[in-house]
Amino acid sequence: MSVAWTILRKDLLGEWRSRDRVLSMLIFSLLMAVAFFFALPDARAEDWVELLPGLLWTAYVFSALLGLNRSLALELENDALSGLALAPGHRGFVFLGKTLANFVLISFVEAVTAAVFALLFGVDLLGAAPALALVVALGTIGIASIGTLLGAMAVRSRFREVLLPILLLPALFPLLAGAVDATRAAVLALPLPFEAIQLLIVIDGIYLVVGFLGFDYILLDE
Amino acid sequence: MNDPADPFAHDATPRRSSALEQRLGRFIAPLGWLLAALCVVYAWSVVEAPIDRTQGVIQKILYVHPPLAYGAYLGFVVTGVAGLIYLWLRREEFDRLAIAGAEVGVIFCTLMLITGPIWAKGTWGRYWSWDARLTLTLLLWFVYLAYLLLRSFSTGGERTARFAAVYGVLGVILIPLNYFIIEIFGSRSMHPENLERGSLGDGMGWPFLLGNLTLFVAFVYLVTLRWQLEELRAEEAFRLAGEADPMNESALR
Repeated sequence: MSVAWTILRKDLLGEWRSRDRVLSMLIFSLLMAVAFFFALPDARAEDWVELLPGLLWTAYVFSALLGLNRSLALELENDALSGLALAPGHRGFVFLGKTLANFVLISFVEAVTAAVFALLFGVDLLGAAPALALVVALGTIGIASIGTLLGAMAVRSRFREVLLPILLLPALFPLLAGAVDATRAAVLALPLPFEAIQLLIVIDGIYLVVGFLGFDYILLDE
Repeated sequence: MNDPADPFAHDATPRRSSALEQRLGRFIAPLGWLLAALCVVYAWSVVEAPIDRTQGVIQKILYVHPPLAYGAYLGFVVTGVAGLIYLWLRREEFDRLAIAGAEVGVIFCTLMLITGPIWAKGTWGRYWSWDARLTLTLLLWFVYLAYLLLRSFSTGGERTARFAAVYGVLGVILIPLNYFIIEIFGSRSMHPENLERGSLGDGMGWPFLLGNLTLFVAFVYLVTLRWQLEELRAEEAFRLAGEADPMNESALR
């Protein structure tokens, strides 16, 4: 487990010193907000509340893709992946460390994105913040875990930037269905739908287990 | 890194096909003849089948569409299970079976996604509806297209096999997961809930049964053929590796 904490600290420290990943993800999210504004020119003020959950998750997924690609591409420099593969203990802990680091970075970007979207589209999210945070955190665990696993595959293939979305998006659809449903309830200040929350927890569990076990095979030949 | 004792070593010499695959070759010709004979009977039975009173001739897609669906799901399950066995036993022939399952599955799935909308336009009045089975099938089609892309973009034979196996297993996990999602969030299905023979009109049961049988045999035939092809490729790579390195005596026949 200490391997996981070490990797988490290493990734966060590296990001704190360069800030390039978070910055590019944030700028991308902002660009998405502008794109949504131009894509939906007829939306009135009250429409944005209904649209926001879907738009938020679209921005979340695509900015997370940017970050995930970079997270594992980083490890290719100086052949750092070999070092990770040689970490003591089960390689699944390497996966947990990378997943945690990705979770922290993506969550930070998501929080800022939500605030910016609330401001730009005039939707009050302050009251909904605790419920929203819970739902977004549950969704992000799933994105970070399966994204880290598939990112580790995509990064060592040709056309890695293209391959990750193609591999990742089909695996994210079930998660998105639950997350958007629960986010809508949170934004509209309705009670959170039990089924959607349950589903997110189940998917997070499955993806964490698949990632933990699968990573052993992914890092085998480094 | 290149330990010959480690079957997962990145550029290990390709090995000869397994006894299982060598036995496989015997089945290909009989399967082919069986398939040819079945196709004739099947085509004849579909032509002879009565024309549906309400839907008209378009209803005959029934004899193609559901059997294709079974083949598609079967292909994906073959891929996932073969991938799992590969990760467990680390024997290459199961990776080759996984390729065969995925490719044939994608073909069946594509044909199903083409015949479905044709039938839907004729009976429901539109090409597509986001109902449970359609959405699930579309998602699975994407998963297995991604699987094939992953294979073709990955470098190194053995690494490709491992990556693909992990993704194939994930694909099989996604089947029940997606089904569950669409049950909760999806709209009501336009497909009949169960397709028992009793629900078919007079004279439609036999062609439907024949369709299922024929396309099942076609599925098995194509998977076997594809598996055999992959095995021959591995064999050839093995032979070339032996020629390129004459000191490697174990590679020589």
